[in-house]
Amino acid sequence: MIHFQNATKQYADGTMAVDDLTLSIPKGQFCVLLGASGAGKSTVLKMVNGLVTPTSGHVEFEGTRVEPSTLAAVRPRIGMVHQQFNLVLRSTILRNVLAGALPSIPLWRAMFAAFPLDLQRKACGLLQQVGLDERHLCRRASQLSGGQQQRVAIARAFILDPTLVLADEPVASLDPEISRDILELLKRASCDHDATVMCSLHQLDLAREFADRIVGFANGRMVFDGAPHKLDEATVRHIYGSRSEEPAAAAATATTSIPTPDAGDVSFAATEVA
Amino acid sequence: MNDNSDIAKVGFAAEKWELRQPYGPKTFGLLFIAAVILAVSAHRSEVDKGIAETGRAVAYSVGLAEDSKVATGTKKFVDESFPLVISNKTAVSRIEDFDPDNLPLFSSIIEEPIKKFDAEKNEVVTAGHEEYLYQPVGYVTFVGELLLETLELAVWGTILSIGIAIPLAYFGAKGYSPNRFSYSVARAVCSFNRAIPELIAALIFAFTFGPGSVAGILALGIHTSGFLGKFFADDIENSAKGPQEALFSTGASKIRVLRLSVIPQILPQVLAYCQYILERNFRSATVLGIVGAGGIGVELKGRWDQFDYGHVSTILLAIFLTVLALETFTQRMRTRLIAE
Repeated sequence: MIHFQNATKQYADGTMAVDDLTLSIPKGQFCVLLGASGAGKSTVLKMVNGLVTPTSGHVEFEGTRVEPSTLAAVRPRIGMVHQQFNLVLRSTILRNVLAGALPSIPLWRAMFAAFPLDLQRKACGLLQQVGLDERHLCRRASQLSGGQQQRVAIARAFILDPTLVLADEPVASLDPEISRDILELLKRASCDHDATVMCSLHQLDLAREFADRIVGFANGRMVFDGAPHKLDEATVRHIYGSRSEEPAAAAATATTSIPTPDAGDVSFAATEVA
Repeated sequence: MNDNSDIAKVGFAAEKWELRQPYGPKTFGLLFIAAVILAVSAHRSEVDKGIAETGRAVAYSVGLAEDSKVATGTKKFVDESFPLVISNKTAVSRIEDFDPDNLPLFSSIIEEPIKKFDAEKNEVVTAGHEEYLYQPVGYVTFVGELLLETLELAVWGTILSIGIAIPLAYFGAKGYSPNRFSYSVARAVCSFNRAIPELIAALIFAFTFGPGSVAGILALGIHTSGFLGKFFADDIENSAKGPQEALFSTGASKIRVLRLSVIPQILPQVLAYCQYILERNFRSATVLGIVGAGGIGVELKGRWDQFDYGHVSTILLAIFLTVLALETFTQRMRTRLIAE
C-alpha cells in the first residue's frame, strides 16, 4: 500500500532527517514509527502526503508515486492527525470536522462554508464515534480539553473515508490515561473504516500495546522493523541511543502494565535492520 | 549527569557563559545621537516655539504673563463659537416657489425690520419689514442631512476599500501569492495607495469624475485599501501554521484553506481594522468637501470662511457626536460578530 524506495530527506541546514529509507507497509496495518524526538518520524509521515518532498528516492501510495502532480489525487485519500491537534480554535467543532472534507465540495460551498447536509450528518456520526455529543457541535475548539481536541482531529481525519491515516505524535501532549484512550480510538476507528495507520510515537509502552508492527528510527535511519514482541532492550537502547532514559520515563508514567502484544496477524518477518 | 563531576563541569562552564546585558555604552550613545537629531529637528519644526507659546498662554491664564497671542485667539474663538447655532432663518424672498400655506414642519414666518445706515442722519434707520421663514431646529436638521451624506460616503469608501484590499491581501501574503512577482506587485500597490494623500486623490477624482460623492468614495476607498491590504496580508502571514497544514494535508487548495483556516483565525483583527477604517473614513469624509468631494466639508469650510464660528461649532459638535455613536455601534457589532 505504501512503499518508500530509498527515500532520503536532507534539510537545507544539512540535517539528515531521513536517510535512505526503504519500507513497505501493507493495507490494514497499525504501524508505529518509534524513536526519540528528532529521529525523523515526522518527516517520514509527511513524505507520504507530500508535506515534505524527499531529497532523493520516492514514496508510492496505492501504486501512485507521491509527487506534486499527484498530490491533489493522493491527499484526499490520506487522513492526518497532528501532535498539536491543529484545529482552528475559533471555529466550531462541527466546522473543524467538516474542514477535513474541503477538497470534496465545490468552491462556492467552501467560500460560503456551506457544507452539504449529508456531509454534516456524516461529521455528526464521526463526532459521536469519537465520544463527543450534540452539546459539543457548536462549541469552539478552544473550549475543549486537549484530549477532546484530539478526538475532533481524529473525526476530521476520517471524514473523507481515507484508506491511510497518518498520526504524527498524536498523544505527545496528552497525559498517559488520555493517551491510551486516544490510541484506542484511533485503532478502533481505523478498523471500522478499514484504514491503514502510520503512527509516530516516542512512548515505548504505548507502541508495544497498540502496534501491529514497530519501525524504529534513530538519527534518521531505520534501525528496527518488526513485531512489537521482537523489540528487545538492546534494540530499544539503539533506538533511543544516548537518551535511553526516555523510554524508561515513558514507561514510568504509564497507568497500566505493558500487555503482551498479539502479533498473530503480522505478515512480515521481524528484522533488525542495523 | 550521572555523577557530581559532571554537574561540577556543567557549573564551571555556565560561569563562563557570555551574558548580554540589555543596556550598554552603545545604547547610551544611540540615545545621545537621537536626542541631538530631535533637538535640531524640533527647532526646524518650530516645536520650541509651540512649547514657548503654550507656556506663555498658561502663564497668561494664571495671571503671570501680560499678553499671550494663543490665549487671546482661543478666547476669541470660544466666545464667538457660542451659542451654538441651532435654528435657521431664511428670507422668504430668497426661497423659490415659496408657499406660505404649506410651511415645513415646526417652521413659522417671522417679520423683522430691515435696517439701513442713513449717511445723512449718520444713524441706522428702519426701512420697512421683511418676512423670514424661521425653522427652530433648521440648521441642526441641515447638518444632520449633511452628516448622513458624509456617513454614506464613509461606508461606501470602506466597502470599496475592503473590496480592493481582499485581492491585494491574497496576492501580498507569502505562502498564498502565486509567485514573487505577484507578491511584490501587491505589496507595491498597497504602499502606493497608502502613499497618495486622500485629499490629493479626491482633488484628482473631482477633476476626472466631476465634483461630488463619487470622487470622495474613490479617494477614501483607494487610500485606505493600502492600509487594509497590508494589514490583512500581514495577518494572513502571521496566522497559526498548524491548522493550515492540517487542511493542506487533506488536499485542499490555497483559497479553501484561506477561507476555512486563516479567516476564522484573523477575523477579530480584520473586523477591528475595518471598524477603524470606517471611523477614519468618516473623519476624513468630513473634510473632503473642501476639495469638492461631497460631504459636510463644503458647509464647514464655507462657514469658517464667513467667520460663522457658531455654525462651525454646531458642525464640529455634530461630527463628534456622530463619531462617538459610530464607534459605539461598530464596537457592539464587532463584539457580536466575534462572539458568533
